[in-house]
Amino acid sequence: MAITPAAPCHGCAANRDEVLVQLGISPGRFDYLVALAGNPNTGKSTIFNSLTGLRQHTGNWPGKTVARADGGYQHADHRFKLVDLPGTYSLQAGSPDEEVARDFILFGQPDVTVVVVDATRLERNLNLVLQILEITDRVVVDLNLVDEARRHGIAIDERKLATELGVPVVPTVARTGEGIPALREAVYRVANGETATRPYRIADYPPELEAAVDKLVPLIEDTYPELPNSRWVALRLLNKDERVEDAVRTGEIGVLASDAAAAATGLSTGRGGSRPEVASISHATAGSLALAEGQVEPASPGQAILRRTEQLRWQLSPDYHDALTRRFFEAAHEIAQSASATGLRKTKFDLDRTLDRIFTNRWLGFPLMLLMLAAVFWITIAGANLPSRMLGVLLIDNLHPILSNFGASIGLPGWLNGLLFDGIYLATAWVIAVMLPPMAIFFPLFTLLEDFGYLPRVAFNLDSLFRRAGAHGKQALTMCMGFGCNAAGVVATRVIDSPRERLIAIITNNFSLCNGRWPTQILIATIFIGALAPAHLAGLVSATAVVGVALLGIFSMFLTSWFLSRTMLRGEATTFSLELPPYRPPRILQTLYTSLIDRTFIVLWRAIVFAAPAGAVIWLVANVSVGGASLAEHFISWSNPFGLLIGLNGVILLAYIVAIPANEIVIPTVLMLTVLTSAAVAGVGEGAGVMFELESAASMGVLLQTAGWTTLTGVNLMLFSLLHNPCSTTLYTIYKETGSARWTAVSALLPLAMGFAVCFVVAQVWRIVG
Amino acid sequence: MNPVFSLLIFLATSAVLVAIFWPRTGLIARLSRYRRLEERVLIEDTLKHMYNCEYAGRRATEESLAGFLETSIGHAVRTLARGEEMGFLRFEGLEPVLTKEGQQYALRVLRAHRLLERYMADRTGVDPVEWHAEADRLEHTLSRDDAEGLASRLGHPLYDPHGDPIPTAAGGIPPMEGQPLATLDEGEIARIVHLEDEPPELFNEIVAAGLGPGMRLRLLDTSLNEVQFEADGRVHRLSPAVASRITVVPAGEAVQLPTHSLADLEPGESGQVLGISPILQGPQRRRLLDLGVVPGTEIRAEFESSAGDPVAYLIRGALIALRRDQASLIQLVAEPEVDDAAAGRLEGAEA
Repeated sequence: MAITPAAPCHGCAANRDEVLVQLGISPGRFDYLVALAGNPNTGKSTIFNSLTGLRQHTGNWPGKTVARADGGYQHADHRFKLVDLPGTYSLQAGSPDEEVARDFILFGQPDVTVVVVDATRLERNLNLVLQILEITDRVVVDLNLVDEARRHGIAIDERKLATELGVPVVPTVARTGEGIPALREAVYRVANGETATRPYRIADYPPELEAAVDKLVPLIEDTYPELPNSRWVALRLLNKDERVEDAVRTGEIGVLASDAAAAATGLSTGRGGSRPEVASISHATAGSLALAEGQVEPASPGQAILRRTEQLRWQLSPDYHDALTRRFFEAAHEIAQSASATGLRKTKFDLDRTLDRIFTNRWLGFPLMLLMLAAVFWITIAGANLPSRMLGVLLIDNLHPILSNFGASIGLPGWLNGLLFDGIYLATAWVIAVMLPPMAIFFPLFTLLEDFGYLPRVAFNLDSLFRRAGAHGKQALTMCMGFGCNAAGVVATRVIDSPRERLIAIITNNFSLCNGRWPTQILIATIFIGALAPAHLAGLVSATAVVGVALLGIFSMFLTSWFLSRTMLRGEATTFSLELPPYRPPRILQTLYTSLIDRTFIVLWRAIVFAAPAGAVIWLVANVSVGGASLAEHFISWSNPFGLLIGLNGVILLAYIVAIPANEIVIPTVLMLTVLTSAAVAGVGEGAGVMFELESAASMGVLLQTAGWTTLTGVNLMLFSLLHNPCSTTLYTIYKETGSARWTAVSALLPLAMGFAVCFVVAQVWRIVG
Repeated sequence: MNPVFSLLIFLATSAVLVAIFWPRTGLIARLSRYRRLEERVLIEDTLKHMYNCEYAGRRATEESLAGFLETSIGHAVRTLARGEEMGFLRFEGLEPVLTKEGQQYALRVLRAHRLLERYMADRTGVDPVEWHAEADRLEHTLSRDDAEGLASRLGHPLYDPHGDPIPTAAGGIPPMEGQPLATLDEGEIARIVHLEDEPPELFNEIVAAGLGPGMRLRLLDTSLNEVQFEADGRVHRLSPAVASRITVVPAGEAVQLPTHSLADLEPGESGQVLGISPILQGPQRRRLLDLGVVPGTEIRAEFESSAGDPVAYLIRGALIALRRDQASLIQLVAEPEVDDAAAGRLEGAEA
């Protein structure tokens, strides 16, 4: 780390590097370390992205499942490393997120801490700023969302705010990038010491804390007379600040305190008293050196201070903490009031409230919700139909034969040709054709609703229903996302910050019938259930059956949530709070564009990573022969008895095993395997190992029925398609989000066990009755 | 296979699996509890019991120990003898007394126990009635380093959720204070400082009544078979046996007893926060504090959800939705009462 004369040395540089490694940052290769902190939902990630561009790296904090991103940027010929801390409301270390944030600022000692503040909620956000100012001087406040503030008639005087807080305040609009260059400059100036900060320190704490400080300060001043800020040290000790404690114990406190003084470069600082001038700093350094040489003796003066601190802490009332928090909020209130003017535009405020009244109205609320969701689903299904078909024609009907022939023409051996083009390529193409259009429509629509601010109101309305099942209202949203894609639904559970409710949402997300399973459901319903009804009602009947299965899924979700919260997840922590942000006009085109691109990449990535190997396995299983029959045939005949017992058959079981990667390829695989193993329908299709579908549902129905499928098989296939283990993408995502092999296993096995049990019971009852 | 047959086999197997694996009442859960009867566990529990007695100013006896360990008196005697052998206690005449080593050991176990209870209260959703039993089970497995790490993560708490002080790593612990509830003057307002968690049945009754350390109450009446007091806007009646489990400290003159909560507000009404009920601890409490629910804050109820619960409140400039059970634990300052006498005089004068 480059140490310029103007930048004070942070105690032992070597020590800090060690600590940084523990916190997961590789030392060196940067000039300045910058931490990015702030409340959740302040646009912090947008700021992070604006500053680092694509030069970022995501992962987890060591030993925790808290996500982390870090990146870098260049400014004024210096390299800055930026670490994105989790969004937190405070630093009280009550949750893993807060522990991570506090530990990093306290022990990692970043050169600058940038706190992103929401201009529309200044007072609440200042609580975190003031807490951060208690433990570090080198802070820059990023006043974000100033455009939103303007829209709501709030004007903030950033110069006044900066004067009050004693640190630079930079207004930004993260969405457009306004203010980012100024932010970089402000960070640089604080990092290299050009800007001296005089951070606001609360002058009068609650009386009992002040009394304790008054008793402790004389002892500290006696022991370390040259310390310029004994009051700050006393407060930190009473708050059990471990770093300061260690420094007092070893005598290093002289160095640490001189840092805090040096940051103010010798000016008289703090509002709680004056500090001696520059001379004291050199004294402090000399004093600390003497102390360091003296080293730690058993009954060192530092120990005496710590013992006294312990006694004083016992005298504080058990809820002194509440009084302390209140003091922070009072200070935040004063500062916010003096620096902002509100109510400049009355009309906008009323619009928000009117919308709220409509969306949460007792009579209108639920119907409006159902209408919105129905609209989203209908647009997705209707809109994806044509593009899916076109993609299918392009990739499968046209490209596939071309590639096959090409392979043959360049002399590829038959098996390699088959493996590459019939297996791998075909599976990948299938997944893309089936998945891409619906995902590209469903998710942008959802993101629009989210941007607009409607989704939290949905969670608000449905919360009491979910609470009875032991879950959180926001699970309604992740459940809806799951109807698009279960993996996306699992990622969406990040908005649930209560650990138990989050786990419940993750494990039960699979019961939302994802886009990949709709074709299976619709097809089987048409063949086996619609066929039972008179022709003019067939369509309606099969649609009802599919909706029925989806509703069964939702019911299973509630049931499983309730079950989990009463048994396996009983002891996990729970916190509920739901913030209802103001409504925001969505930037329709921009959102559609970004969401579209995002989704396309994800689908392509998933197709290549998961579907391609599946295609290989499918082809191999059908073509590799052992003892005269293919592996597929062996497995199917072996598992058929069990399959029949639960109302399915060996073909379906094998198809589901090889299609763990992707639900979309279940039907084509089933058809291929049926042809492979059933003499009655041999000759149909494209050959062993080549997935296919027929033109009409009716012809597929004939094929299956000839091979021995009954209505029971169809019904149970629909049920099993709903209640089986999540696809491999979802499992992988669950593992990454929870960091726990145990919960991933539960997510996989619980639905599977339910599927087997339900199919079994249905089959027995069917056979008894029918 | 005959479907009826297979169904029956399936149901039978399910029943057996449930009986074995169901948490807490299943076979496996019960078996793991019986593993507690190891010697080390017995010794530690003995020292803990002796320490608790001495802290309260009493002496442990063979009978009290037998009751505490839930074993026979003979077993208790043998355990005491073993403890003497190991140097943790000595006998003064017939009474067992802790040695210095015994005291330190007991404090370490106590520290582990109370830290675990604090952890369960603050970081998990474990039911309050289970804290003691769970901490009892786990305290023997916590090493000194483990305890330090736990204390650090929790921010070095001073008290456990029952109001008992958590001994520091160096063994520091403040002296016991407070008086039994029934000894207060009638009408006196006091703060609960301690709830005795042994025996569990009495403690569960206290928890079921919605009482916890830190809560304020006003003694109304004591009689031979019942103790009456007001807390949380309700009148509580407890038997003297249960009430003896509650230790209080008088709160002084200027203290207000909370009567209203946020849940009493209708949409459009606002109130000033008095505090968050001490019953609410842990992550829930912290989250509310972080959102600005501190004494003195003005909160206005804005609108209800379609289902009636949760309700959206305006707190420090942000719209936050809270469930009714949370809102009922946020205490509000009582509205100033209308002076009825003065109002009557005015009306009389006008007439």
